[in-house]
Amino acid sequence: MTDSNIEFGDIHWLMDILQNIDVGLVVLDRQYNIQLWNGFMESHSGLSPQKAKGENLFELFNEIPKDWFMKKAEPVYQLKTRTFTIWEQRPYLFRFKNYRPITGRASVMYQNTSIIPLESINRSVDHICVIIYDVTDIAVSREDVQSAHQTLNELNRTDQLTELSSRGYWLKDIEREFLRCQRSVLPSTLVMFDLDDFRTINGRYGHQAGDEVLRSVSEGIRQTLRQTDHVCRFGGEVFAALLVDTDEEEAVVFAERIRKMIERMEVRHDQQSIHATASLGIARYQKGFASAQDWLQAADKALYHAKESGRNKTTVYQPKAH
Amino acid sequence: MSVTSTAVSLNEDQRDCYQELTNVAMGQAADRLARLLDVYVVLPIPKVNLIESSDLHMAIQDAETDSAMSAVCQGFIGSGIAGEALLLFNDTSFSDLAALMNYGGELDRYGELELLMDVSSLLIGACIQGIGEQLEIHFNQGHPVVLGQHCKVDDILKSGNHQWTKTLAIEIHYTIEHVNIDCDLLLLFTEDSVAKLNNKINYLLD
Repeated sequence: MTDSNIEFGDIHWLMDILQNIDVGLVVLDRQYNIQLWNGFMESHSGLSPQKAKGENLFELFNEIPKDWFMKKAEPVYQLKTRTFTIWEQRPYLFRFKNYRPITGRASVMYQNTSIIPLESINRSVDHICVIIYDVTDIAVSREDVQSAHQTLNELNRTDQLTELSSRGYWLKDIEREFLRCQRSVLPSTLVMFDLDDFRTINGRYGHQAGDEVLRSVSEGIRQTLRQTDHVCRFGGEVFAALLVDTDEEEAVVFAERIRKMIERMEVRHDQQSIHATASLGIARYQKGFASAQDWLQAADKALYHAKESGRNKTTVYQPKAH
Repeated sequence: MSVTSTAVSLNEDQRDCYQELTNVAMGQAADRLARLLDVYVVLPIPKVNLIESSDLHMAIQDAETDSAMSAVCQGFIGSGIAGEALLLFNDTSFSDLAALMNYGGELDRYGELELLMDVSSLLIGACIQGIGEQLEIHFNQGHPVVLGQHCKVDDILKSGNHQWTKTLAIEIHYTIEHVNIDCDLLLLFTEDSVAKLNNKINYLLD
């Protein structure tokens, strides 16, 4: 155990240290009455040690839930072990203002606490000490990282130009759907579509006009969608849609609605009027597909067929034909 | 005996001594837990081993991938001896833990966090204190960190701080009678602490 031959004069400066150290120190007796209240506690609570001493902790600070705190403190008395609380459990024990009230972003001080036993001369524990650490900066930066992660995830999930899903995110979705289809009797269908002669539009009106067409088409698609349909910009001027719980016939209705919507659409750019058409390929999930990739390829084949046979039309994948 | 050697080694006497030390600490801890929680803690024989860092990686990784598993770690240091206590909850039912700890709140993510913190404070604290008392070392403990729940295990493993290859691990398997609580407490010492610990142990052995 530690030596305790401290001179009386030394106690004076030890007290000075306790008073000035930048962590909160509170000593409580068995009835949770405050016995020591250091400078940190005084400054942040505005309560002088003279006022705090002898007062009951829970009466003075009603933000501290009695049952909760006693669950942490009782083992310290009974088992003579330390217990801990962290800000993730409860942001603070004492509701103090942020130490940096002007530039700090949190309004309160986040706190970790340690509760340690104080042995008396007869070795029983009649007092405990609560040590309060200011961990506001750690908590705020942890929360920043979390929200940055979330933003990144969302960025990854959407295509910047069209605000439809990104290809990567959509592909994960059809992988999942493929697995589900293997176990399910409900049909699901993929539709792939491509704007006809998009290169000509870009060439004639410029890339900004092309972007405007993509944006308008995407907006039109969004309005055509049902809740469960999932559409992405597959790349360039190619789009893909996953229609859950939808057979070929219903998919044809969906595809034709999109085809007609694009056909009718007029995009205005730089006082010019631009018209576009699209070709669409449809493939329903088949038991014979070995992977989601097979399914995609089937839709792609149907799309190719629509292109080959004159464009601005919808073609359905025929498994027997191949 | 070579003191200059940095390689971690352990002879049979030392191993027995660590085991006995832990047994006594566990006995004290179990007695205290019994009084506080009114339960009977089944006391196993602690395992004392030199483990490879890859073993630890695997253990922690399991805690991350298996959602049924939770882990809490807490650093401790005293007299130049440093280490970390790692508490792994294997197949522990949170509702049983809640009953054990008389926890009445809702068992959502925060409720589970509360329980993990409370239980680990008790188990880790009691054990480290028991060992410290016998070796006459006052261990300071850092704040516990719940793995998986508020930090990614990948980040910990990536930190590149695992420069040790082999180190001393004391493993205690806790079970509590009649309830579905099953956890492992691992006390891991840093490589450079083992020589100092062995010195302390040798005093006891003399």
